[in-house]
Amino acid sequence: MEPERTERKTMPYRKYNTGVTDKYATLTPLVNSCKLHITTIRPPTPERAQKAHRQDWVKETKLISTTHHWNPESLAGGAWSGLLAVQEARDKTTHSAGVNYYYNALNPPKSAGGSGRSCYNSGFPFTRVPHESPISSFQRIDLDRHSLEHCPQLSIMNEVQLLNLQHNLITKIQHLSHMQQLVSLNLYNNRISEMSGIEALSSLRILMLGKNRIHEICCLENLSKLNILDLHDNQIHRIENISHLNELQILNLAGNNICRIENLQGLDCLTELNLRHNCISFVAEVERLPCLQRLFLSGNSITSFDQLACLGESRSLSELTLDGNPVALETWYKQAVLRCVLHLRQLDMKRITDEDRRMAGVQARKEEEKKRESHKQTIHKEKRRLAIRNAAQQWEGVKACLELPPANGAKEEVSPENSPAHSPAQTNGLAQDPSPEEPRRISPGSGPERPSGGTEIRLRTNSRPNSPRDSKLAEAGSSGVQSLSLSDSHLAELDGDTLRLFGPGALEALERGWGVQTANAVAVITFRYINFDAIVPTLPRIRVKFPNLSHLIFLESNISRLPQLAALAQVRRLDQLTIHPEGNPVVSLALWRSFVIYRLHHFNLQRINGQEVTMNDVIAAERVFGTLGHIAATETPRCRLLLLLEESRKRQLQFLLEGRGRRTGLSPEELRDNGKLVGEGLSRALFNYPSRDCSAESPEEGTVESSERAAMIEQYLQELVQRASDTNLKGEALHKLWPSMFAEMVRDCVLEMRDRAAFRQASLAKLSETK
Amino acid sequence: MNRLSSSVPVDEYLADSSVLVYLSDAVTQLLEHKEEYTQFGVVRYFAEYFSSVKNSNHVLFREYSYIRATLHNRASFIRVFWRCYRQIGKSGDMLSMLEYRSLLQLLCPDFPVEVVQSAARIVLMDDAIDCLMSFPDFLYAFQLQFYYQEFLDSVLAIYQDLLAGKSPNTVIVPTSTSIELLHSVTAEENEKAGQQQDGVESSTLAECVEALCDRFKHCHPSRSCMKEVFNQTEKVCYFSFLMSLAKHETINETIGALPSKAELLIDQEMDQELDKL
Repeated sequence: MEPERTERKTMPYRKYNTGVTDKYATLTPLVNSCKLHITTIRPPTPERAQKAHRQDWVKETKLISTTHHWNPESLAGGAWSGLLAVQEARDKTTHSAGVNYYYNALNPPKSAGGSGRSCYNSGFPFTRVPHESPISSFQRIDLDRHSLEHCPQLSIMNEVQLLNLQHNLITKIQHLSHMQQLVSLNLYNNRISEMSGIEALSSLRILMLGKNRIHEICCLENLSKLNILDLHDNQIHRIENISHLNELQILNLAGNNICRIENLQGLDCLTELNLRHNCISFVAEVERLPCLQRLFLSGNSITSFDQLACLGESRSLSELTLDGNPVALETWYKQAVLRCVLHLRQLDMKRITDEDRRMAGVQARKEEEKKRESHKQTIHKEKRRLAIRNAAQQWEGVKACLELPPANGAKEEVSPENSPAHSPAQTNGLAQDPSPEEPRRISPGSGPERPSGGTEIRLRTNSRPNSPRDSKLAEAGSSGVQSLSLSDSHLAELDGDTLRLFGPGALEALERGWGVQTANAVAVITFRYINFDAIVPTLPRIRVKFPNLSHLIFLESNISRLPQLAALAQVRRLDQLTIHPEGNPVVSLALWRSFVIYRLHHFNLQRINGQEVTMNDVIAAERVFGTLGHIAATETPRCRLLLLLEESRKRQLQFLLEGRGRRTGLSPEELRDNGKLVGEGLSRALFNYPSRDCSAESPEEGTVESSERAAMIEQYLQELVQRASDTNLKGEALHKLWPSMFAEMVRDCVLEMRDRAAFRQASLAKLSETK
Repeated sequence: MNRLSSSVPVDEYLADSSVLVYLSDAVTQLLEHKEEYTQFGVVRYFAEYFSSVKNSNHVLFREYSYIRATLHNRASFIRVFWRCYRQIGKSGDMLSMLEYRSLLQLLCPDFPVEVVQSAARIVLMDDAIDCLMSFPDFLYAFQLQFYYQEFLDSVLAIYQDLLAGKSPNTVIVPTSTSIELLHSVTAEENEKAGQQQDGVESSTLAECVEALCDRFKHCHPSRSCMKEVFNQTEKVCYFSFLMSLAKHETINETIGALPSKAELLIDQEMDQELDKL
């Protein structure tokens, strides 16, 4: 019978084994561990020893299977029946055999890292009982599946070390307090709702209370030797009263209602923490467990990697499960976790390969870059907003200063009926108003992260490829905005073919080196919050730099007088001109449009403030200003023309003047017609707006020089006048004296010639003498 | 001037004829733009300069201080202004003070707004300075204001003293007025609204203006014309007086810059020129 029993014992095992491997591939760890036991056990004395051995093996298998809380129904029928058979067989021999093997699973795992452990397929979700220890004699009571409703009275059995009461109907833990030797207590699958009754079991190392109705962790104050605490599948809400368990190695709290990971400090030996199937959304305190190697968090509510951040601080963690959490569905979940927990060897029961790590590294870098980029972007966006706002603010200040003096003298504002019908509300083509009416009090220092060195950040954006993020950046919704120059009070940016300049400082962007292609792309320039007089000196540069410029837009630029508009003649070509009524008083003048058409005739403007320029407009403008131009061209003294004209025309005129100068006898009529000298454009060219520099070149020096010069001139003229008046006086005196002088002279002559012969002789003698 | 009539001393002659002003300006210009004018020819430059002064086109695009330096310059400028913008009058457009200022600035870049404002006040009787004005109205008012600037300022001072109920004699001695002015300012402010409507007695103002003319060094409108204006009404206010002066044909003839109102919009010669273009 013995062989047969052996056969029966081993066969089911095999069966069980195959069943599991075939159908429950994921549960292989258990199988492995079982197998391992068989192989590692030393064969003791022949039959009995072997028998006992087998028995023990069965026990162990059983124990393992229960601690892993097999659901019998879920097991393959064959496998389970096999197990039952084992059970029966064992029952028969339980007491006869010296089943005093002490299952010393509880000694500190000196060889934890040994061969047995290492082939353990880690990451298994449920608590395992360590198995590597040899078994010695023990007092053991096994009352598995006896439908007990109360704890049995075992008062005589003080020596009991292992008490198995699993699969009963016990509701309360009683009658155990005298079992001071009790090392392992298994109350798996009962109906216990409170943990009271175990307070005195100070030797207890294994406490199995899985699948009960416990609400609260308590009564563990004296159980300081506890190595394994299994409370899975209860109704616990809170982790508490365990922080003194400094020898605890395994804590199983799977299948409870725990929402927070807390009160774990002090569990200095904890290597495995099972929190599967709870309601945890945030991982905390894990870093306070110095020995934690395995952490099971499957089936919780963790949604983002931020909630896992503290995993990164654990230096010992090597196995982790997170499947069944929302976060595990993220695209780069694995990589993100690996990046977070560097020492991880298994994730969701899969080995981490080098490839995984490499991918994680790459992903990490990408992520980092993206983050930096978006951060940079936000900063940039904020800066841009601030710059525009500050420019607007400064502009308000400047405007207030400008408007104050005339406001005292007379009201500068223009009556409503005065505003010309064609000027207002031509806002197409204008950038949206970034609400300059927003609260004004922005101190310059309030900008985020102002660059420490210098007030400017330059982003040479040519190197940056256009990417979708740019669209977010652009206020106007266009893509590909390049920021050229940015400080706390000015901004220059290129948006497609539009160059936008906010604040006077932005003009600096025109000065720097532009790529030919970039410069060629610019077709529209928008000025805002920049005084027109400051813009004028840059116009020649704009002419040279942006050959394809066809549209100029002036928002707030304080253009107030017609002559200022003449300065625009300096650009190369212009199809459209937009001068926004706000901040540009000139637009309120009825004649401004006509003047622009007349003065910028050579551009053949298509549109002014969005309104098309018709032939009638041109004729009307010609009528109003034609006379002026004609008179200016024909009647201005030519020497004066030389001063008024720009360089090229001046040379032309000079040449003509000299040419004519050499041809003597030029008729005044010919010369009169200045207009024909240099062509028709002359009349218009005369209306120039002097840029600031010429009028303001060192004013002090100028006045000193001019006053000196004036004094010099005065002195010179004084002398001149003196001499002239002296000459005049002399002339007048001579005039008075002349009649009498003349009479005297005549009389002298007559007297001399009275004696003709004598006179003749005297004359001859004089002649001969001279010879 | 005839050099044989030695009755006029040199200095007086020079002062009267403003020759020194032009001489000095010519030399200043020459020195300032040495390069251009040397190339142009100094003699030629002087010839052209003085012929332009004679032809009244020397004021084009010159600075304000030069334009107002002599009466001849002022008259020349007024005439140039008329000739250049006659078309605006012809089209009948009404323009605001600021637009006239802008037009003036096209001819003289630094033309100050104050003169334009004063002219606008004459047209608009000191109120509603933002209103639109017709070209002829503005032109004549501008002529009066610009040509007799100094005289009008003095008349205004006298007028305000009269309004304040002060003896106009005090105006003659500046030192005594300064203190009284301080007193009168508040009173004037209070009474201004009521008094300005009816102004002052024409006869009183006429006497004062007569006295002013006696001691006034600068040019002033002929006394007979002013008398004529004063005789029209019993009471007169400053701006209505100025308006009457501005519309006075004789004064216009005296200045000699503008044609009579009837012929204001006609300029045969220029029209022909423009037709050619």
